Amino acid sequence: MNKIDLGYDSINLGHGSGGLMTRDLLDKIIFETFSNPYLDQKHDGSIIKMDGKMAISTDSFVVSPIFFKGGNIGDLAVNGTVNDVAMCGAIPEFLSLAFIVEEGLAIDDFIKIVETIKKNADRSGVKIITGDTKVVERGKGDKIFINTTGFGKVHPKADISAKKIKPGDKIIISGPIAQHGMAIMSQRDGLEFESSIESDTTNLNFLVSKLLDSFGDKIHLFRDPTRGGLASVLSEIASDIHMGVNITESALPIDDQVAAACEMLGLDPLFVANEGIFVSIVDPEIASEMIELMQKDDKGQRAICIGEITEEHPNKVVMHSVIGGKRMVTPMIGEQLPRIC
Amino acid sequence: MSKSFKIIMTGRVQGVGFRPHVFNLAQKFGLKGSVSNNEEGVIIYLSGEFEKIQQFYKTLIQQPPKLAKIRDHYLSEITHRTFDGFSIVPSQTEGKLNLQLTPDFAICDTCKEEITDPNNRRYHYPFATCVNCGPRWAITNKFPFERDHTNMAVFEMCDSCVTEYQDSSNRRFHSQTNSCSHCGIELKLTDAKGDTISGEDAIQKTASFIKDGNIVAIKNTSGYLLCCDATNPLAIQKLRERKRRPTKPFAILYPSLSLLKQHLKVSKIQEEILTSPESPIVIIPKTDLDGNLAVEELAPHLNQLGIMLPYSGILHLLATELGIPIVATSGNIHASPIISDADMAHHELAEVADYFLNHNLEITNPQDDSVVKYSNRLHEKVIFRRSRGLSPNFDAEVKTDKKILAMGGHLKSTLAFIPNDYLYISQYLGNLDHFDVYDRYMNTAAKYTKLFEVLPETILVDKHPAYNSTLHGMELGKKWNIPVASVQHHKAHFASVLGEHGLFDRNTPILGVVWDGTGYGDDSQIWGGEFFTYHHQAMERVGHFEYFDWLASDKMAKEPRISFFSLADAAMNEEIQQKFSKEEISIYRHLKKKELLKTSSVGRLFDAVASLLNICDLNTYEGEAAILLENQVHQYLLENCTSYISEINDGIVPTHLLFAKIHHDYRSGRDKQEIIVDFLFTLTTMVIKMAEQQNIKEIAMSGGVFQNTVLVDMIKELAGSEYKLYFNRNLSPNDENISFGQVAYHQYIKH
Ligand SMILES: [Fe+3]
Ligand SMILES: [Mg+2]
Ligand SMILES: [Zn+2]
Ligand SMILES: [Zn+2]
Repeated sequence: MNKIDLGYDSINLGHGSGGLMTRDLLDKIIFETFSNPYLDQKHDGSIIKMDGKMAISTDSFVVSPIFFKGGNIGDLAVNGTVNDVAMCGAIPEFLSLAFIVEEGLAIDDFIKIVETIKKNADRSGVKIITGDTKVVERGKGDKIFINTTGFGKVHPKADISAKKIKPGDKIIISGPIAQHGMAIMSQRDGLEFESSIESDTTNLNFLVSKLLDSFGDKIHLFRDPTRGGLASVLSEIASDIHMGVNITESALPIDDQVAAACEMLGLDPLFVANEGIFVSIVDPEIASEMIELMQKDDKGQRAICIGEITEEHPNKVVMHSVIGGKRMVTPMIGEQLPRIC
Repeated sequence: MSKSFKIIMTGRVQGVGFRPHVFNLAQKFGLKGSVSNNEEGVIIYLSGEFEKIQQFYKTLIQQPPKLAKIRDHYLSEITHRTFDGFSIVPSQTEGKLNLQLTPDFAICDTCKEEITDPNNRRYHYPFATCVNCGPRWAITNKFPFERDHTNMAVFEMCDSCVTEYQDSSNRRFHSQTNSCSHCGIELKLTDAKGDTISGEDAIQKTASFIKDGNIVAIKNTSGYLLCCDATNPLAIQKLRERKRRPTKPFAILYPSLSLLKQHLKVSKIQEEILTSPESPIVIIPKTDLDGNLAVEELAPHLNQLGIMLPYSGILHLLATELGIPIVATSGNIHASPIISDADMAHHELAEVADYFLNHNLEITNPQDDSVVKYSNRLHEKVIFRRSRGLSPNFDAEVKTDKKILAMGGHLKSTLAFIPNDYLYISQYLGNLDHFDVYDRYMNTAAKYTKLFEVLPETILVDKHPAYNSTLHGMELGKKWNIPVASVQHHKAHFASVLGEHGLFDRNTPILGVVWDGTGYGDDSQIWGGEFFTYHHQAMERVGHFEYFDWLASDKMAKEPRISFFSLADAAMNEEIQQKFSKEEISIYRHLKKKELLKTSSVGRLFDAVASLLNICDLNTYEGEAAILLENQVHQYLLENCTSYISEINDGIVPTHLLFAKIHHDYRSGRDKQEIIVDFLFTLTTMVIKMAEQQNIKEIAMSGGVFQNTVLVDMIKELAGSEYKLYFNRNLSPNDENISFGQVAYHQYIKH
């Protein structure tokens, strides 16, 4: 998109009025950027044709700061929802896109975010087919909030269900943990780590669909450990299936700089948010083959088995720690509060 | 005229030789009848002259068996019955268990003599017991206390043992744990792989292995101990490396009181408890130490040692054979619970121990050794760990007909349970971050409900939402569909002292001083330097240490230098540069600018002072900085002490000002010991000042900080006779008392 002159530098309340100013903003930025046959009808909504089983997932994005190392809120808005659809074992095709913009957001920032959304949508192969833009008074928002809803067709070979998990199933993680959360935190709090940590936000749908092509119903569950981190996702799984989860600390992939930053802040990387990784729970017979396949993909290069499902300690996640002994892993409750005396 | 009576005795009356004692007493008085254990205690039926029965009753109460603790006793007339003589009849239970559980007892002197007497038939038999000694709770699955309800059930007594058991004049008359080498428990010495080395002379071989510098895992009657020569620095270093325990002090087992007294000054009160049936580890100052203990390896940088005497037959035989002090530390790794099972021991300790001394008596309730210390000057007893010999009983009156399970804290977890007329407090279970500890904690809760056949009606948890004890309490509440109530951590600490001393009915207010490391406060901040008042079933927070920033979550408790950073002002930049990297400084400075959690923790203040004085920047074990700080103090004169702080305004102790003054003193080159003494004196002064301001004459203190016995002495000295002071007495001041405090708070505070 060429640099366009809209005649104003920032979004104001008029852009949310529904009147001509809104129309101008939509035409010049949104429709221009996302142009496709569905959107071009400029109707109240879009009519799509889908056969068979469908997956739908929605998410709102309220991250602060909106620009961070490794991406911006636009990356998250697409990848987050695309990945959620993918975690259902589906192939994401369409996306809705709704903005709530705080009065005063620089037009350049808005455009940058819209462009990022476009880039990610193209990369993950989804079309933006409906949307909305609202503007709220200064102080009633935090620059920009985005909501997206994703639609996708369930992969013909997929049979994703926690009910299929059985003892002995392997837990595979696609890449290093805690990267996104630490990137956001260091930026938000102005923490100057010697090394720079970037968000890992990316779309995972093609890798997921490749895995489903090869392993189909031997894959019992996909989950992306976003908010609350790996600990919260594994705890949820354990209590959903009333079985135990065993993981091995030494197997957990984590970048040295991320680990060092967590250590310095006294944070447990298991609780830190991720964006570009996912957890698979799979039949043990395919585990090593699946890891091999993942490692060939640039989004799964550091894929590794981190543990397994067990009949012991139902509902509990236990980590075999590096220094010996077993540690209880509990879901995150609010912020990380100190517990030690 | 002959009449019939029924006598009921409650309290600690089972497993202590009560029935044989009653039998012999009845014989003496010429009374006929029977005695048995039941779910309430001991029940006696007697027929005979009323006067004789009355005399019998009086004598029994006045001279019960040595280990018995009678709580209540009742005498009532029943319709006349005739008996053939007097008999001990097996347990008869009709209802649910309602009695004190019998704890483990140290081996008695008579049994000790027997097993070292070559002419005795129990010579070298490590499991000799009698009605006055031996394991009880450790091996019990069920009450009333009968052999069949213990893990002794699988050992069938030989003829000689049966004869003793049936002979009313024998001290093993009706001794439920009776056995000998022909019919009893077998020792087996194996190497780390589990291959048998020896059975018969296992003790002698073990002793020689220890002498040669090896580490041996010994299955004691309450769990495994790891042992090595306490005079051999290399052996101890090897144990430290293998256990990954760089500096935390090890307990030392002395072969005999006489040798101990040759090496170390032992006070009367210390001697008494060392040789008591509870036989805990006693922390003793090492001034005037004699002998060749490897003290720097045993207790690095400390001026005290943890000492115990052989409290079981195995330890007695081994220590006698060795004749030298040995290290005896809980057999576990990295804060996991003490191990009691041979397979588990071989699995978990394979890389720690060179040899294993095992036996085939199963242990149902493994327990660590209890730990106590007496303050130097005023001999105030402070419990550091309440476990073997003390738990699971607790003698406090709590008025309730509600069945309550209290889940305790997180780091030093215990459970408190009221299923009947008694209150039970579990042994120290440990840090619930560790799955094995959590597992034992869960099982202990399950075991209690099964043992007493009672489910609680209310569950009490700490207010901290992420304590694993809180989470488990919530889970149980959901499972049993019963209410879960939370109690603020420091209020529970305060209530624990009030409860221990029965102070809830007082008409005048009591000041509560609760200082510890961390607890989740009512204002969502991290408390730890609190002042409360208690009056008329209400508790109020009347003051606290001025808040300072809580930095870096759980790391702050592990690194005293972070507490220093939090309290540091511009004048302390030089120290900051020394203790932190550039990156750390930039990060922590940034953090401090944020809206952070705040804390009033006195524990963290101790850490900050220890770091400032370059005593400890990083803890390798919990509370290390505070212990090292206390250990710097060798002497002080109260009249030479000055408080850094003279006034408390609005109940707030000015933490930052106090710290700045200490720093100023240190910079001007003042002696560390003097600074620490004045720091402790300042804390002491704060207690008295607050009492003055509140116009209160009675002060109750709790929280981990009160494990500092110098501080305890100082407070007692300064308070003199003007104030009445209360400390935790039979519970530890640390978080082990939280479970009981939760119960006490719930019962007595209006809410
Ligand atoms: Fe505490
Ligand atoms: Mg979602
Ligand atoms: Zn004895
Ligand atoms: Zn025998």
